[in-house]
Amino acid sequence: MKPADYPEPFHDLVRELRRLPGVGPRSAERIALWLASAKDARPLDLAQALRHAAENLRSCQTCGFFCTEEFCEICRDETRAGGEICVVEQATDILPLERTAFFHGRYHVLGGRLAPLDHVGPEQLRIGELLARIKIEQPREIILALSADVEGEATTNYLAEILTPAGIPLTRIAHGLPAGGGLEHADPLTLQRALSGRNPVRV
Amino acid sequence: MLRDLRLRDFRCFPELVFEPAPGLNFLAGPNAHGKTSVLEAVCILLRLQSPRANSLAEAVRFDQPGFGLDGHWGERHMHMKFTDALKHFALDSKPQSRSADYLAVARVVWISNDDLQLVRGSGSPRRRYLDFLGAQVVPNYLRQLRVYERALRSRNALLKDNRPRREIAAFDSSLHEAGGFLLQARAAMCADLRNSARESCRRISGGGEALEMAYLPGSPADFAAALENSRDEEIRLRTTVVGPHRDDIAIRLGGREAVSFASEGQQRSVVLALKLAQAGRLEQSADDPPVYLIDDVFGELDPTRRNNLLKALPPGAQKLITATSLDWLVEEDEAALFSVGGGVVAKKK
Ligand SMILES: Nc1ncnc2c1ncn2[C@@H]1O[C@H](COP(=O)(O)OP(=O)(O)O)[C@@H](O)[C@H]1O
Ligand SMILES: [Mg+2]
Ligand SMILES: [Zn+2]
Repeated sequence: MKPADYPEPFHDLVRELRRLPGVGPRSAERIALWLASAKDARPLDLAQALRHAAENLRSCQTCGFFCTEEFCEICRDETRAGGEICVVEQATDILPLERTAFFHGRYHVLGGRLAPLDHVGPEQLRIGELLARIKIEQPREIILALSADVEGEATTNYLAEILTPAGIPLTRIAHGLPAGGGLEHADPLTLQRALSGRNPVRV
Repeated sequence: MLRDLRLRDFRCFPELVFEPAPGLNFLAGPNAHGKTSVLEAVCILLRLQSPRANSLAEAVRFDQPGFGLDGHWGERHMHMKFTDALKHFALDSKPQSRSADYLAVARVVWISNDDLQLVRGSGSPRRRYLDFLGAQVVPNYLRQLRVYERALRSRNALLKDNRPRREIAAFDSSLHEAGGFLLQARAAMCADLRNSARESCRRISGGGEALEMAYLPGSPADFAAALENSRDEEIRLRTTVVGPHRDDIAIRLGGREAVSFASEGQQRSVVLALKLAQAGRLEQSADDPPVYLIDDVFGELDPTRRNNLLKALPPGAQKLITATSLDWLVEEDEAALFSVGGGVVAKKK
């Protein structure tokens, strides 16, 4: 006699949940059980939200940030036109920069960085889109805000090489001491970077 | 100093307790009875790394899920276990998530017959010799080494695929910065080691020809310019041809290349001298001496070198020394003797 098991729809659900990042077989089963039997689970609301998100969320034709229409709210905001373009690796890098309330220009998401060891070259990044944009928008400045590791540095160098002929002022964000941190807690490499990126003091 | 060590499901030992003495300890026993495994366990407990296996998984007793090691270094209680391909470690019963504090506790010097590769092998064991020291005594060394290796591998992947020059050049700044750091740090370490290596070699071989070690940088002083000048060659060979990954150490005895002209006994003296110099440098940068783990080396030495080596080891340090037999041992007063076999380490004296 075959031992009893969960019905088929339960297994379908577990299988889909397991595809989510960070969800292993045990937690997939736990979530499925909860969705199937908990009083407060509201699985149809979840299904509805998933469908709504999948059908409406896309990335901005211009900058690559999340949006629901052709262009995102940042690109539609005319007060940001003609200012700076800040180049970032991922769409998720934009929100922390926005929260500083310090930057009022537009963004450009590369969709990654040069990483030959992971088979990512310039063709895989939105570099052509960036060049095309610059011609049309003529920004005042281009700011490279990429990570400070080997691949981030290489991408910064590469973009600097490619963008220089456009004749637009090009800068990169500084790597230095964390705000509110004293020198005694900084590691030598951070201090070295902070020293080499020092600014003149106005007197 | 290691006061006690407990093993669970480690190599051939389901369970083992071992309490070494403060100074000299000899572990004797027939081959394949677990002598090297005991020293390996000491190294893994203190440094979280095996000196002989690439993966800690190899040290898990066959058909067991993992191994556990536990012991005291002075007053510190160290505990580590390896299960499901993961290391867990605790200091004074507090689990640690980062290894820095744990690794700050104790240092080891590992000496075995494989060290002959320092003289006989290609450049890579000699670079590893410098990196081992740099990682422990030069601030930032390990991080710069990782940056260099990543930039180098990226660059070589691009060269191999014949990618455009500007993609390759994008990695040059990381390569310069980290490479320049390594070239400088390694030159300084070699300068530090030179005299003490010569002195140790003199003591172990009982005089004779002078040991000379010299740093051979893998790039001319101006690394950036050298990289620039090597373009044609790197395109032809499809790999980065200058830089600290080409570093080496020249080892000469009485002015001649040790690899081709020194006798086997002389080569053994040279290697021991290099390791003792490394240990001495390690000792300078810490509060307490490292523990010396010396595997099988004694049996391969002639009686004079054996006794000279014993005398050359720092008297204040703890030493664990394995050998298949101890027939040659001259009555050594303070030495503790253990026999390894049948799954136990028994104290004989
Ligand atoms: N992971 C393992 N599980 C069980 N036995 C092992 C394992 N690895 C090695 N051994 C066995 O442990 C024994 C002791 O090895 P070793 O410590 O090298 O001995 P020795 O140094 O005394 O010659 C050998 O017989 C070897 O086959
Ligand atoms: Mg052995
Ligand atoms: Zn946009």
